[in-house]
Amino acid sequence: MSAFYSTFTRHSHGEGLKGHSTHYCPGCGHGLAHKFLAESIDELGIQDRTVAISPVGCSVFLYYYMDVGNSQAAHGRAPAVAIGHKMANPESVVISYQGDGDLASIGLAEIVHAAQIGLPISVIFINNAIYGMTGGQMAPTTLPGMKTMTSPYGRNNFMGMPLKMAEMIAQMDSPIYVERVALFDSKQRIRAKKAIKKALQLQVENKGFSFVEVLAECPTHLHLPPADAQEWVKNSMVPVYPLGVKKDVEPTQAFDFKKPDFTPEKLLGLIGATSDEVNRFAEGFPQHIDPLDISLKLAGSGGDGAQTAALLITRTAINEGYDSTHIPSYGPESRGGTSYADVHIAKMEVLSPSAPDPHILIAFNQPSMDKFAGKVRKGGIIIGDSTVIHTLPAVDSSVKIVMVPMSDIASELGKLMVKNIVALGALQAATDLFPENSFLNAVKQGLKDKKDLYPLNVEAFHRGMEAALKSEKV
Amino acid sequence: MPNSREHLLPAVDPSYCKGCARCIDACVHNCIEMGNEINPLTGLTPVVLHLENCSHCGLCVTACPEPYGLHMDSVTDDYSVVTKDTFTGITRTVPKAVTIPDIRVPINPGKPILIKGTYASSIGAVLAGCRHFYGYPITPSTEGAELMAKLLPNLDGIFIQAVSEVAAINMLYGTGGAGLPCMTFTSSPGFSLMLEGISYMIGAEVPSVVVNIMRGGPGLGNIAPEQSDIKLVCRGLGHGNTHAIVLAPATPQEMLDFTMLAFELTFKYRNPVILIGDGYLGQITGKVSLPDYMIRPGIPDWAVYGDADHRGNLIASIDITEADLEARNIRLNEKYARMAEAEQRFDEFYCDDAEILLVAMNTPAQMAKGAVQQLRSEGIQVGLFRPVTAWPFPVNGLISRLKQIRQIVVVEASNGQLEDEIRLALSKAGYSDVPPIEHVRRFGGILPQTHEIVEKIHLLEGAAV
Repeated sequence: MSAFYSTFTRHSHGEGLKGHSTHYCPGCGHGLAHKFLAESIDELGIQDRTVAISPVGCSVFLYYYMDVGNSQAAHGRAPAVAIGHKMANPESVVISYQGDGDLASIGLAEIVHAAQIGLPISVIFINNAIYGMTGGQMAPTTLPGMKTMTSPYGRNNFMGMPLKMAEMIAQMDSPIYVERVALFDSKQRIRAKKAIKKALQLQVENKGFSFVEVLAECPTHLHLPPADAQEWVKNSMVPVYPLGVKKDVEPTQAFDFKKPDFTPEKLLGLIGATSDEVNRFAEGFPQHIDPLDISLKLAGSGGDGAQTAALLITRTAINEGYDSTHIPSYGPESRGGTSYADVHIAKMEVLSPSAPDPHILIAFNQPSMDKFAGKVRKGGIIIGDSTVIHTLPAVDSSVKIVMVPMSDIASELGKLMVKNIVALGALQAATDLFPENSFLNAVKQGLKDKKDLYPLNVEAFHRGMEAALKSEKV
Repeated sequence: MPNSREHLLPAVDPSYCKGCARCIDACVHNCIEMGNEINPLTGLTPVVLHLENCSHCGLCVTACPEPYGLHMDSVTDDYSVVTKDTFTGITRTVPKAVTIPDIRVPINPGKPILIKGTYASSIGAVLAGCRHFYGYPITPSTEGAELMAKLLPNLDGIFIQAVSEVAAINMLYGTGGAGLPCMTFTSSPGFSLMLEGISYMIGAEVPSVVVNIMRGGPGLGNIAPEQSDIKLVCRGLGHGNTHAIVLAPATPQEMLDFTMLAFELTFKYRNPVILIGDGYLGQITGKVSLPDYMIRPGIPDWAVYGDADHRGNLIASIDITEADLEARNIRLNEKYARMAEAEQRFDEFYCDDAEILLVAMNTPAQMAKGAVQQLRSEGIQVGLFRPVTAWPFPVNGLISRLKQIRQIVVVEASNGQLEDEIRLALSKAGYSDVPPIEHVRRFGGILPQTHEIVEKIHLLEGAAV
């Protein structure tokens, strides 16, 4: 018994002899590797849960023969496809079967990454030192001096040295079993079968990533009779590709796969969904600023907290039942660069989310003040950090400027981070956008995991309010 | 001496021997030699067996590369196979899988939540039953992946950061091929890399959801919003005759809703679904209401799930015979036609009495909405037609509006890629009475602004700004 189809109906619709013979040339190593695979699957009793990934190359038609779940991959991508199948059903046994063009050339990134992450899949790698399906071109595994269709004068130093995949995979930390075997005599064939079976067995035991490199014959493109091709592998390939176990270790950690969770409560909890009623404090939409849509810009350096403050304003507006959006615009640096945030608050729906001419500007530093003060629309309000902003640009006389020593206040409170909350307090006092409690409620929501910081934030907010009121009186 | 023949001995049907001679070397008793006669059926010369000295070691069988070549069998005195029918003649039946349907689980949606566009899409995905995410970080889509990395381990799902977008899309091919909902987030340069895999998915009819938060190009471009992948998603999904439904949300709410819709459509048609947003839409934080249900996914009958029921299935896009591949193309084309018929989606804003029609998608549609409001307040009869599916283009909806329209203005953050889709759709529909088409276009990460749209209409209407 074996895991071959009883008739190869996918091979030319199973007509004539093709129903029971392979498409491989006489003496090709693929047939033997297929056979050892089919026997191993049968002996391990895993036929029903095996998924075989067919590669691109001569073995593209693996799925003609193996009576298992079959998936045919793009050139070189079989290990990625194998991971996709294995993760979909960790109970399945997934085999990535690949040739040397597929695995060692176009698919190098995929095989190295698959080996590096070490998920339990089994890779069977057929190394015959040449491209078969495309007609005898040079492979990464072609031997030095060897003539192929694309190395007609022999592989030379412009074409590099043969790539030793088994050694390369074995030196990585994650794979647990790597062996190179051959097919050229009875002893090698018995070892090859044993290695393939072991690679599957390790996956059945959920242990990890295994890799079996099979030195195989391609008599057609070596231009040798099959028997001579066996001799060639033995005498020419083996010295370059030494046979044997390259790695065989116990995994440091077994894989513990769980069935995905679909309980609504867990999902909703993770999303942060809540049915809690949110208190409203505002009498209505802040029409004294705009009847329909208010835009704000918060600008500073990364770390000033402009984005957090912007989100708190958005949250405040949404809590009050209005539509609101926040959109950040960072400089290319992750930290310390410019950090601008545009906020809209709309009575009905926010349309354009950007704020090129805001009603309100909060500037945390001098460059931001210089850059955006002139963009604030007539009748608008600018709130700036007077600790760091010393020059006020010329603005329309209808624009109100409120300067608050945000950084100084925050330093006095012992935490520079609350500078943005000082700014929010100043915003509330200077604009009456929303009531004090409305903002503080949003701050409280935002601190859900760090409730002990709330009193400090409240104090920062109040200090910002006071400073803004004082500034206006001046 | 009939008794001595009761042993099983190596046997081969000459039609299934390719004469590779591996068995000859393997036999230590020299029982096998090359034949002299060419087999008329195969054109190859099979080996000949002389089993007087056979020790039943089986090494010759181990050496035979053909599944139905040398095997141990009961043989007659002249070593011909007597039990051929029990070897090559048997038929093992492959189980026929049945579809395990999705289950719609009611949930309490609670209050609207405040999240950014990419997060809304991730949440839509997990609500739609997605527990498998594969991706590669690329701005401005990465936050979606980051949220998945946070959520999925808590739901016993799988998050894998792939080695590249190429690997990521092929991991989707695997999980989608296994019949489970899966997705990725990417942005324009990464989407380019995924096109190979998307072509394979369409060919092999593998579902999955690809969210492309489009950014400025060509080349490395920048990380700001653009809409310059419309051409790719509508006309260029890799090699071959490909199409996929393309959804174009305009708000964080639609990022969630359309992601859920994408999962429904990708399984309905066994075809990948692309969701395109612009960099703004990925980054924008807004109010999002949750649905009142979530999906617990089943397993379709066609899946290669890796269990007994699905053993007979194959996921592949290869048909080596021309007639077979033409048949696959015809089948796919019929599917595209069904999608084009049933899935055209659009939204309208102030279109009932419009004479000027703005056409825009994604965030530029929001800018256009603002322009419509402003122009309406000036008494200009303008409306917005917003394609929700970039492919299939909602041409039927557009044509039904055009009778009353004297001017079309296409607003987009690309060099006319949306306009090309409009013109092509109208042309293919045989609609010749097309009003003049003008446009407002920005590139390089700058979106058309409301005031630019207003100015364009003023200019066209000959009004002083």
